[in-house]
Amino acid sequence: MQQSRTARPSRTPTWPLGAVLVAATSVVIGVIWDISWHRTIGRDTFWTPAHMAIYLGGVLAGTSCGWLVLKTTFAGTPESQAGTVTFWGFKGPLGAWLAIWGAFAMITSAPFDNWWHNAYGLDVQVLSPPHVLLALGFTGIQLGALFLALAHQNNEGDRPAFRWGYAYAAGLLVANASIMGFEYIAFPNDMHRALFYQVSAAAFPILLVATARASRLTWPATTTAAVYMGVTLLMVWVLPLFPATARLAPIYRSVTNMVPPPFPILLVLPALAVDLILRKSGTGRGRDWLAAIGAGLAFVAVLLVVQWEVSRYLVSPASENAFFGAGRWNYNSLPGSWEHEFWNARENPLTAAGVGIAALLAVASARMGLWWGSWMARVRR
Amino acid sequence: MGQLDGAGSQVRRSLSWSALLGAWVFASGHVGSPDAIFQGAAGPYTVRVIVRTPGVVPGLADITVRVLTGPHVTAITVLPLRGGTPTAALPPADTARVVPGDSSQYAAQLWLMAPGAYSVQVNVSGAAGQGVALVPVMALATARLPMDRPLTWTLLALGLFLFVGALEIVLTAAREGTLEPGASADTGRRRRAWVVTALAGIVLAFALWGGRAWWNAADANHSRSLYKPIPIHVRVALSSASGENAYGPRGPVLVVTYGSMIWRMPNYSPLIPDHGKLMHLFLVRDSGGPGFAHLHPLPSDSSSFAASLPRLPAGGYHLFADVVHENGLAQTLVDSLSIAPPAAFTWKPTDPDDAYDIGGDAATSSAPAVLEDHSRMTWTPPAGGLVTGRPVTLDFVVTAPDGKPAALEPYMGMLAHAAVERTDASVFVHLHPMGTVSAGSALAIQLRESGDTIRGRLAPRVAAAERTAMPVMESGPPGTFALPYEFPTPGDYRVWVEVRRGGRILTGLFAMRVAGS
Repeated sequence: MQQSRTARPSRTPTWPLGAVLVAATSVVIGVIWDISWHRTIGRDTFWTPAHMAIYLGGVLAGTSCGWLVLKTTFAGTPESQAGTVTFWGFKGPLGAWLAIWGAFAMITSAPFDNWWHNAYGLDVQVLSPPHVLLALGFTGIQLGALFLALAHQNNEGDRPAFRWGYAYAAGLLVANASIMGFEYIAFPNDMHRALFYQVSAAAFPILLVATARASRLTWPATTTAAVYMGVTLLMVWVLPLFPATARLAPIYRSVTNMVPPPFPILLVLPALAVDLILRKSGTGRGRDWLAAIGAGLAFVAVLLVVQWEVSRYLVSPASENAFFGAGRWNYNSLPGSWEHEFWNARENPLTAAGVGIAALLAVASARMGLWWGSWMARVRR
Repeated sequence: MGQLDGAGSQVRRSLSWSALLGAWVFASGHVGSPDAIFQGAAGPYTVRVIVRTPGVVPGLADITVRVLTGPHVTAITVLPLRGGTPTAALPPADTARVVPGDSSQYAAQLWLMAPGAYSVQVNVSGAAGQGVALVPVMALATARLPMDRPLTWTLLALGLFLFVGALEIVLTAAREGTLEPGASADTGRRRRAWVVTALAGIVLAFALWGGRAWWNAADANHSRSLYKPIPIHVRVALSSASGENAYGPRGPVLVVTYGSMIWRMPNYSPLIPDHGKLMHLFLVRDSGGPGFAHLHPLPSDSSSFAASLPRLPAGGYHLFADVVHENGLAQTLVDSLSIAPPAAFTWKPTDPDDAYDIGGDAATSSAPAVLEDHSRMTWTPPAGGLVTGRPVTLDFVVTAPDGKPAALEPYMGMLAHAAVERTDASVFVHLHPMGTVSAGSALAIQLRESGDTIRGRLAPRVAAAERTAMPVMESGPPGTFALPYEFPTPGDYRVWVEVRRGGRILTGLFAMRVAGS
């Protein structure tokens, strides 16, 4: 590495990392809460608590990182400025810039989303252009938390808080990906169709593999997947504790408590396979290709075996209990046999070709994860 | 019959006009006047309800309720109801809040979540107990809100900032992200950082292009789902060779035919009577000259209706056909027609309530309309004049030739009917003392039962209810009536007001100018 000046130790304060981790958590919880709100109560305003949790995340991330940048730029010591990057003359760690960008993206999405509602009607879907912009904002904040933790981990690797903070931020990113794919990969009823495995294969390996490559934990991908599962399970168990009733017609089923999200994908098992492969593969260009192939194939194989079988149980009436939270549907969904059926299993069956596409996507996703992760392992700012 | 010797020479379709009108009718179930206005009884209280529809579905409609007469009111709640599939429960009704500074007016918002006919239940509580009014409202996606210039520029500026900001983050990350703290990048690293940023720019531009394509697709999908009334074709058919036909002797017949095959429309619902008629067809002269008819064609087969055409002056006409479906949907079907100079024939109306008017100049607020029986119809403009977006009642009084108040008889269950048309035909609405709402639509929703998923089951009950309904009689002094309305756009309007007196249907034409708010 060529450098024109002598390196000096970084003294970046740690509190912004705490603030951005809280912000990223608030956003993820807010979004899961908001989806539950739409499925349970129906009508919403700007001031729903779910929206407040999302905005709190944006405000907290934006203001804390904004303050960090201003303080570092105008009143920073040489040590505090040492671990920063320069952006239009301002100095701040990479993670701070990502979080600030995320906050701005969230702000931009607000008037855009408002216009979208007025132009095309109120939300009937999770995925719309303004929602994707909002999600990019969340992602910016989560990446901000990830990079703040990463810089601390790579500079001061002896403190476990930074390693765990990094894996926690990565877990929130995985949760974010699962939320954006809500309409394709959330419900167990979708888990006997090819699309579920293909979307999962494209979305998850890149995050798990990149995290694992840059992490200093023993089981990084597994830990990251456990964070995603933990956050989702928390919402599965906590949301139904709150009474709520539908406030929009037509109401096709009586809803007495907040509808929980579907039970999470058992991602720790494919993530464990990813960890095992990466531990054995070592590093290096040729080895990384082999590692990507191994991790991608292992991910799809374990995901397929686990979710194919688990989803059989999750769509059955036996899983309709407080632990699994299954059988909890929107107030406006007509009761019917579809609740216990696999959807689109005939139109989009899981054939050998379908599995092959999923495997290719997973390998490509894992390879990108290795490139990204190898770079992240060297991030110092 | 020289003038009637060939439908081709008689009737010249104004295709360009039809196309233009086709664009306008997207605006409403009525034409260009989408808000529902109801005036009537809610138990012991008289209320005027205005529902301003959002133009998108799902969407939020604004509702205002003004208590006009009755004992002291303590609370008003509103609840949008929809028929069809039985539901597990009704959502809680919304409490309408008193509008600050106006204790007789209440306001709330309504969530209209699915396209089609809703019935808004307005519950009024007060000193005389509870009263309920059902107001039919059509939830239709009628337009896409354009993005105004300030918002466009704001979003463009923010978008550009985000785009450049994202690239700047990539540049700094690639240039300095992996440097030891305190070190600075050399030339080679800076160059590589620019290459990475350029690649990221290509990826981002590609993502933006994909986002634009997605947006365009969503927009096109929305445009396809916009409400479009059933297209109709109206033509003039000649009487048979013998000079006789089913609808009248020796006269031409107006034939209204659905322009598309209704049995291919999955959501097509049969028609039900509104004010006792399956179709109210209005012919309005397009040049501003005399010529107006309000006819009630009878069905001749599953997709055609016919009515004897009165002796209207030659010229171009706008046609507006109001129909109500069994599912409660009320819509106005539109077409245009050119009528040749009339031949000599004796008009025999198809329906006893058919009427036409070929009177001269329009009356104004200062000059009353002289009706066919020499009685006079006078309009008193509201204080402050006619302004868009302001609820008004159009107050009329009919006096006999001797100057005494005229005794009016019910005309299709109402004291009066009016056709309101902006002179460029961008607005048309069928108005009566109950407002703009369709009585048939209200009945369809009120009388619907769980077994009415079978087509055609509801219509006979609606017809029976309309036959036995008591006509709405005078509530004010003799010869007076009021039509509640809110003009949607400024401009010049023509209003044909029809009443029945001495067994004759009399039409007065008024010119009204509406100012912008």
